[in-house]
Amino acid sequence: MVDVLPPGLDATALDRALKAFAAVVGSEWVLATDQDRETYFDHFAIDEAAHAPAAAVAPASAEEVQAIVRLANQHKVPLWPISRGKNFGYGGAAPRMKGSVVLDLSRMKKIEVDEENGTVLLEPGVGFYDLYDHLQQRGIKLWLSVPGNSWGSVAGNALDRGVGYTSYGDHAARICGLEVVLPDGDLVRTGMGAMAGAPTWQLYRFGFGPAWDQMFVQSNFGVVTKLGLWLMPEPESMLGFDFEFDKPEDLEWVVDTLAPLRREGIIQQSPSIGNWLRAAAVLTTRGQWTDKPGALSDSVIDAIRKRFNIGWWSVQVRAYGPLDMTEATARVIERAFNGKPVLSTKRARWVKGDPPEGSPMTGVPITFPLQNANWHGGRGGHLGYSPVLPARGSLAMDQFRRTYALYQQFGMDYHASFAMGERHLTNVNQVLFNKDDAGMMERVDKFFRALVADATTQRYGEYRTHIEYMDLVASTYDFNNGALRRLNETLKDALDPNGVIAPGKSGIWPKAYRGERA
Amino acid sequence: MRALLLLAGAGLLVAAKPAPQPSLPPGARLFTEKCGMCHRKGGMGTGLLSRRMDAKVAMLESRNDLTGDTIEAAIRTGIGNMPRISRAEVSDAQLRAISAYLTKRKPK
Repeated sequence: MVDVLPPGLDATALDRALKAFAAVVGSEWVLATDQDRETYFDHFAIDEAAHAPAAAVAPASAEEVQAIVRLANQHKVPLWPISRGKNFGYGGAAPRMKGSVVLDLSRMKKIEVDEENGTVLLEPGVGFYDLYDHLQQRGIKLWLSVPGNSWGSVAGNALDRGVGYTSYGDHAARICGLEVVLPDGDLVRTGMGAMAGAPTWQLYRFGFGPAWDQMFVQSNFGVVTKLGLWLMPEPESMLGFDFEFDKPEDLEWVVDTLAPLRREGIIQQSPSIGNWLRAAAVLTTRGQWTDKPGALSDSVIDAIRKRFNIGWWSVQVRAYGPLDMTEATARVIERAFNGKPVLSTKRARWVKGDPPEGSPMTGVPITFPLQNANWHGGRGGHLGYSPVLPARGSLAMDQFRRTYALYQQFGMDYHASFAMGERHLTNVNQVLFNKDDAGMMERVDKFFRALVADATTQRYGEYRTHIEYMDLVASTYDFNNGALRRLNETLKDALDPNGVIAPGKSGIWPKAYRGERA
Repeated sequence: MRALLLLAGAGLLVAAKPAPQPSLPPGARLFTEKCGMCHRKGGMGTGLLSRRMDAKVAMLESRNDLTGDTIEAAIRTGIGNMPRISRAEVSDAQLRAISAYLTKRKPK
């Protein structure tokens, strides 16, 4: 491990840089032992060492981040900023480029809530549980929107376009105002924050002139040190339905039933139509169902569905707001499903004054879905594959058929959902694997590349990907011979001439490291 | 994953990680803050440990067989599906406090 170095830097030069970092943050916050480096490995990775960092540095304030970034420029040290490093399935804490120094922001945990306006301004180290506890302890009547793995950072998740279950579930869309350390160490505030002391930083997104919040999402153009986010005022009620569907083919009409409701704003959260393995992979292990290799057979699928009393597909639909409105919405949703072959329907209802509902549907953070990494027993993991397609049933069905055939061909267990956006579907797949099965691990990479190639043929791009595949996915955005990449890299070189911030993030490589592109 | 919410008795999950109480001793407070999301009721760690041992002792706080070395190894090198935890997230001093809390003998 001692030989992990940034490209073009020797051990003496790195050591000099780390000593300079230590003068800023204190030597206890420069983490450079073998064990320290390993704590930033992606524990889901096929080859953990492929993305090993050289060290980590953990500043406690924006001022310290500025100082570190300036030193990184002087010493030509590439940094890989992480908020809390829990982006499992996408690389965790590990850098895209081996030998980068992790800029670990997990010590930065300030929270400022504006209950009246339903906003929060938070630092990157604040996790969903931290924010939940903060609101609970103070009796603040605001709800979170949490992802299925709520261990991570609220800001980090929004900055990677993470999603949640409530009507605030498109997290990047709820960002309102950022504070960012630019690659030269300058500090900028976006939107109304550009006016010192403006009381509207978290209230109006755009400010005056170009609006830059989204420029720092999934990018490497700066280090976000504060993020403004809108939170949902606790509603009077949450009503909805849990629908089960019997056949794979039901996907088509279910999408066509939900899409107009979503488009018209009747349903404001993102219903996710998911298959039987979502429950089984969390609550059981594969060995409890079969000892046969290859994709699960129809008889095993039937057994799983029987045990959990679920359909081939399931979806949870929810409405939030005054009871008058949620009851009316529920009637409209019910009418839309009337006369269609629904396998079963269960009503969901929470009204203010009821005991806590206790699930992510009401913004309660959870970690238990991570149990699905244990599906194969032993050391497991998953890889996210999530192409975006139009919200049309026939296209969803085609996508399902082609993808399902690839799962069968590569002998992998189908784990997927179709999450309904306002105008699109995201086909979220979690490729579950067993790290101790060499044969399977060899197949995973080929399988993933086959999935991306298949989506690309349809002109569907992924919304997010693992560090290992960022160049692959970026290459599929190919209009005009990769004009978007040229724009991104022109911008990157202008802002970050030494390429010190997250080289390779989202396939964006600075001049200094362009040779590292896969 | 969302289907699971129906199946796992989601209403119970609100108790998974009660907000840390400032009056708790440092080790207990730190355990809640740093580990509780996975190692209290309804958490990922508790769920996975209950597959491998008596479910009654899957909750780390009720065990009497944990040693400081085991705890340190689990935190810093990971174990099974648990990832490694960096010193930025849990410092050495915090690890010692958590360890002291977990290794304190509990009444059976």
